[in-house]
Formats: sequence, C-alpha cells, structure tokens
Amino acid sequence: MPGAIPASVTRLIDEFSRLPGIGPKTAARLTYYLLRTPDENALALAEALRDLKATTRYCSSCYNITEQDPCPICSDEKRDHEMICVVEEPLDVVAFERTQNYRGVYHVLHGAINPIEGVGPDQLRIKELVARVSQGAVREVIMATNVGLEGDATAMYIHRQLNGLVRLTRLARGLPVGADLEYADSITLSGALEGRQEMHE
Amino acid sequence: METMSQFLSSCLPHSPIHIPHPLQRVRIGANAAFVHIRSFMRISHISLTNFRNYARLELAILPGMIVLHGDNAQGKTSLLEAIYYLATSRSPHITADRQLISWLADDEPIPYARLVAEVTAASGLKRIEMTLLAGNRGSAARFKKEVRINGLPRRVMDLLGQILVVMFLPQDLALVEGAPVLRRRYMNVTLCQTDQQYCQALRKYEHTLSQRNALLRNLQEQGRRGDHSQLQFWDETLAATGAMLIAGRHRLLRDLERRAQRIHRDLSGAGEHLRLRYQPGFDVSVEPGGQMAFNAGDLGASALPELPPDEITGRFMEALSACRRDDLIRGITTIGPQRDEMRFLVNGHDLGLYGSRGQNRTAVLALKLAELSWMQEITGEWPILLLDEVAAELDEKRRTYLLERVGEAEQVLLTTTEPSLLPSELLKTAARWHVRNGTITVEETLSG
Repeated sequence: MPGAIPASVTRLIDEFSRLPGIGPKTAARLTYYLLRTPDENALALAEALRDLKATTRYCSSCYNITEQDPCPICSDEKRDHEMICVVEEPLDVVAFERTQNYRGVYHVLHGAINPIEGVGPDQLRIKELVARVSQGAVREVIMATNVGLEGDATAMYIHRQLNGLVRLTRLARGLPVGADLEYADSITLSGALEGRQEMHE
Repeated sequence: METMSQFLSSCLPHSPIHIPHPLQRVRIGANAAFVHIRSFMRISHISLTNFRNYARLELAILPGMIVLHGDNAQGKTSLLEAIYYLATSRSPHITADRQLISWLADDEPIPYARLVAEVTAASGLKRIEMTLLAGNRGSAARFKKEVRINGLPRRVMDLLGQILVVMFLPQDLALVEGAPVLRRRYMNVTLCQTDQQYCQALRKYEHTLSQRNALLRNLQEQGRRGDHSQLQFWDETLAATGAMLIAGRHRLLRDLERRAQRIHRDLSGAGEHLRLRYQPGFDVSVEPGGQMAFNAGDLGASALPELPPDEITGRFMEALSACRRDDLIRGITTIGPQRDEMRFLVNGHDLGLYGSRGQNRTAVLALKLAELSWMQEITGEWPILLLDEVAAELDEKRRTYLLERVGEAEQVLLTTTEPSLLPSELLKTAARWHVRNGTITVEETLSG
C-alpha cells in the first residue's frame, strides 16, 4: 500500500534496518516509538547521532576512537608508553581498562586478517603499528588478538613484521575463572597445560 | 491421520507436556526371548517432533533385533535417519538440513524439529537432545542446530561419540563407483564418531582451506602489489591439520582393510583378494633421499608404511611451496586431503572402473562389516546397527551372512518393505513394528 506510510517514516525505518541486529519489524517499532515520544527526546537522539560522527576521530597514535587527539590514554604521562597492547577492536581496550591492572598503552587494529571477508593487512592499522615501534622507545608489544584462526593469523603476520625489533609476547591461553575442569574442551585444556607456570608463595 | 494430542503437541514448541503413548505399555511381552540385560549401549527411548514425516513420535525401543516394515514413504528410513543424525549430526543422505524439518511445521512462526534419545550405556543413562531451527521465514536467519546432553547446552561436536552407529544403506553401493567426495565423507564420518581430535582437525582444516583459497583469489586480484608472505600462516596451519587427517585416514583404511579382507574372502571365496587403497591428495611419496615411501601402485593401505604426522606436515609444507605458483594462478589450493581418494581393488583391478554390480556389493558389505568390528574394538561397545532395505539389495547368501554377523549386536533396527525376504528364524526372534504414515505400531504376533 504505497502512501499508507509517509516518506519520512519509511526513510527512518530503512535507516534503522541497516543497523546490525535490527530487522524490519524492530526498525518500524523504534520509528513509531519515536513518533509518539516528546519532541525534545527525539531531537536529543538526533543530536547524539550527529555529534557521534562530528566530534570523534581516530587517535593518531593508538587509533582508538577518541574526542581529543591524542586520546586520554596516550596523553596520560603516568602510563607506561614503552609497552603496547595490540587489540582488534576499541571494545577490547575497554575490557583491558576494566581490569585496572594494565598501565601500558594500546594499538587498535580495527579488525583481524580475514581473506574471506576481504580483510588483509592493508585494511588494518598494521603499518601504523610497525612505524610506531620502529621509532624506538618501545620495550614490549603484547599481542592480544582474539583466540581463533583469524586472530592467530593476524598475530603471526604482525610477529613477522616486528620480529627482531622489539620483545613480543602473547596473552596466555587457559581456563576462564570459575570453569570446571571436567567440562573444558581438549584444545583449551592443552593450551592451559602448555602455558602452565611455576607456583609461587 | 494424526491424533488430536499429536496435533496439539506439534503446536506447542518446547512443550513440557509428556504425552503417554500406547507403545510404552507394550514393551513387556513383546519379545520375552530377546529382552536380556547387558550393560552395553543402546537407545531405550526416542522422541521426534516435526522430523521428516513424524509430526510427533514417542517410542520405547527394545534391545535386540527390530524389524520395521511397511510400504514406501511411510517413515521407516526416517526413523533410522533420526538415530543416525543424533549420532553423527549429519544426515546419511546428501540433503539440505532444512528438509529434515517436516513441512507440517511450516505453519509455525519458527519451523523447528526436535530429536531426543535416551541412551543406556555402561556409563549410565544419557539424554541426548537436538533442536533444528529453520530460522524465520523471510529473514536471513540461518538454519541452526542446538544440542543438549543431559539437559546442558553443548556444542554440536560434543554429540559425536555419544551414540555409536553403523548404517547400511542401499545407496552405499555408490561408495565404490560414485564421486570421490562420497568416499572422503565416509572416512570423515567414520573417524569423527570415534576420534575427537580428528574431528577438531577436520573443522580447522576446512576453515583454513576456505581462508587460504580466499587469500589466493585476493592475491590474484592484487597482482604484483600482493603480499605473498601472508600465505605463510595459512600454509603452516593447513599442513599441520592436514597431516592429522592424512595420518588418521591412513590408519583407518589400514585397519579396515585387514578386517574387510577376511570378510570378503568368506563372501566371495578364496579366488578374490580385496584391497583398500589410500591415495593422499598430494604426493607424500618422495623422501628427501629420493626413495618411495608412500608407493601407491596396487598395494593396499596396510602395505604402506605409517608416517608420523610431523613428517607428513613437513612434506605437505614442501608440496605447498612447490605448487604455490600454480595455486596463485588458479586461485585455489590444488593439493591436500580435500583431494584424497580411497579405491577398492580386487585382484589388482579397480572396482570403481571394472567391478560388476555383484562384486561392488560384496566389497561394500565387507567394508561395512569391517567398520562394525573396527568400531567395536576401539570403543569396546557394539554400535547400534541401522540396516535400511538390505533384504532387497542383497542376495540370499550375502543377506544370511550379514544377518548372522549382526545377530549378536545389542540393538539392530532393520527396515524392509518385504518381511518375507528375511530368514524365518530371524522373524521368530525379532520384534516386529509396522510403520504407516508417520506412526509406528508394535505387532504382538507374527503373520509371516
């Protein structure tokens, strides 16, 4: 039934449908919810969307998403700038920050090598990482890509690019806290066995 | 026609209502002679919802031999297929998973099928559940399998080995003369049931192969700008996992060949000598010194020396770098276990090319019976036997031999359109179930 829905409504439904995890029905429900909501709420959403793109950029050092360049982490002088943790996504930085245990800086690749999806090293911030390390003053690079073929492929590629330039380490692979040994799969368990450590008092 | 309670239960996804079924009451006395207690593995109960032509089935399954008879397209094979699917997470037929869900379920918001088996094993009672979800119609949601073991969510892979089955199908004949993909599939399914490491290696190999092929095509497009060093990681992973597949398949065929040879001799007389030849998908033959280590010729799998996986990995790496140019031009990985072959030879002649129908039948039967004894030996349990229409497919001599061999099994489900083709002694001791339009009735007495 063309004309049953005004064009501006259809347009918003279409825009919502582009988002990950949102199908046509959810998109329609969100749109009609916004139609009923007070004007200032809808406008606040519109402004938030506009500011999202207008005020954010990549940090020129670590390529995390930031409002100021360099980002608060990179410009924090109390952090250890000689230690770089390499992660796939900005949300991985959030996960490390939550530990309150890491005092180094980061490098965000924005993805992992995945030939099927057409993602090669050139689509990732790998050159930038190599340049950053080559300038010297980096003591250690911690590879914290995801565990799996694509994450491993990315880590190995970076390893070959940085080999000899700097100390390279990789996150340990093992059991999650609270895990029951008997339910662990054999790959995880053999990883944990290989990465075992001396016991300390 | 389905009953009202069947109809109601098919309307309720995840229905907690247990529907009492008349079949559960007839267990006692159905076959007193065959009900003896053993600690071996068997299925004691199966429940199907929207699977193939079963809208709803609740069925207690006896140990021993069960003959399922009825006309074509009534659901005999579908019951065997359900058990096979729970054991291997695949259909024995090359078919789209979506087709397993009954068309009766199409009216539901999310068409689904559910299979549940209760398994009695030496380790105790297990409840194995599988839900197949077709995904919303009109949306891109994909077909999904969900597995629960004893009520806990598990990966599909964890299903393998929970129920062991060996299945005999009329189309098994295609193993000898059909496409190579059927024989690779046979080796994979057989090994996955008993070897979790093989199964993990297979998954990783297939994933790596897709990524490497995609990378080859990307490099092809990029031409000279392309960074070929990216291949290194995928080559190493492909070689390491591929070596595990080659070693596993070689061991399997070697073990099967020895067993199949004895059975084949019993079936065909002393004049015919069966060999199973394993041909790896790249030349593992040249040792650094130039000797032949994996000499194919007309030798069978057991005549080949066993190579440790590390050594195969090294040769696989060499072979990959030797054909890298070729791979880059064609945009596909030209060597590896995805090209493996197994061939059936009798007196040195390849049955796939020269075998008569009778010879091929005998070879497949020998292979299947070898698989049965192999699985028994390495797991210490009798697999559940699923025999689909073997009576019509085999002549009397082979039929008698097969049924003698499987008579000892803990649980055998056999389908036939023509019970009169079965030996009368078997019919005397076996339970007899009639399958009609997706319902199963137990027959107390034999009419044959």
